[in-house]
Amino acid sequence: MSEIFDQITSSPMFGVALCIVTFAAGVALNKKLRSPIVNPLLIAIGLTIAVLEVFRIPLENFDKGGDVVSMFLGPATAALALSIYRQLELLKKNFLPIFLGCLAGCVTSMGSVYLLCRLFGLDDSLTASLLPKSVTTPIAMELSEQAGGVVPITVAMVVVTGILGAVAAPLLIRVFHVKNPIAAGVGLGAASHAVGTSKAIELGEVQGAMSGISLSISGILTVLLSLFLT
Amino acid sequence: MQIIVQIGVFFLICLAGDFLSALLPLPIPGSILAMLLLFLCLMLRVIRPEHIDQKSDFLLGNMAFFFIPAGVGILEQLPLLLENLGPLAVICVVTTVLTFAASSGTVRLVLWLQNRKGGGRSE
Repeated sequence: MSEIFDQITSSPMFGVALCIVTFAAGVALNKKLRSPIVNPLLIAIGLTIAVLEVFRIPLENFDKGGDVVSMFLGPATAALALSIYRQLELLKKNFLPIFLGCLAGCVTSMGSVYLLCRLFGLDDSLTASLLPKSVTTPIAMELSEQAGGVVPITVAMVVVTGILGAVAAPLLIRVFHVKNPIAAGVGLGAASHAVGTSKAIELGEVQGAMSGISLSISGILTVLLSLFLT
Repeated sequence: MQIIVQIGVFFLICLAGDFLSALLPLPIPGSILAMLLLFLCLMLRVIRPEHIDQKSDFLLGNMAFFFIPAGVGILEQLPLLLENLGPLAVICVVTTVLTFAASSGTVRLVLWLQNRKGGGRSE
């Protein structure tokens, strides 16, 4: 019996199916509760881990299918090109404020992460895992891996950062008196990537578009800044 | 058939990105190079948005799904995560707030400077 179970769970289809089922559950819960804290990705990760633990399924069995899903991360990053292209007019009109805003965001994010990591005495590998935490997951994962970071830690931090930005967005906008929609959008995209962008879209069309541009540009700038650090 | 072609376009661009990444002496991720390549192709009209929009919207709209396996990998790093939970939480909150403040503040400052410069003429 356990042999059959092992055989079935080590089929690539098992991992893919588990991801789909848990993600569908996450999306459904998110729709029902309408709160950014109920993040579909976070729920899917939690449920998947719970299933693997409860049924004592080895991670390497799950990864047969998990690797198939991860294969689409590259194409998903490349697809950001189309979203920048679609916002080209808006970008051209406000290039300087957007570009400088993203640059300030990236430098602040990486600088403050680095300083705090030193302050807390975290080792190099953890620091490398945290440095790209404000950029979109596929970019952050690659940067973390190249710098010798622990990729799952990076993914967890990136997701939590995104949720934090999205949840705190109305509060942040009020505290820092950001009435300008361009500033609010760029800030959300730079600080909390795609999850923040989903909140920015709720705030308004300009905020959403700006946040989308900002997450792409911040991603590229963070890659360039990382070149200087390594 | 159309969607198969679009998937093909994406995979080929990603392979080209990985190839470039291996050739370049700089550690730039292949997927970033693929994004820049695709952007270049769109600007040069080698690829038109309608050639890739179905697959792109599928990828962009379901982006979170593709991160599940990477996140599940935390299972093996749980002790490391729990050991550093306090500092990680503090770092997460503080740096996210600072990043938002710095980038939105910079945008406002630049817009204000531009308005002041252009404002003399137009108003």
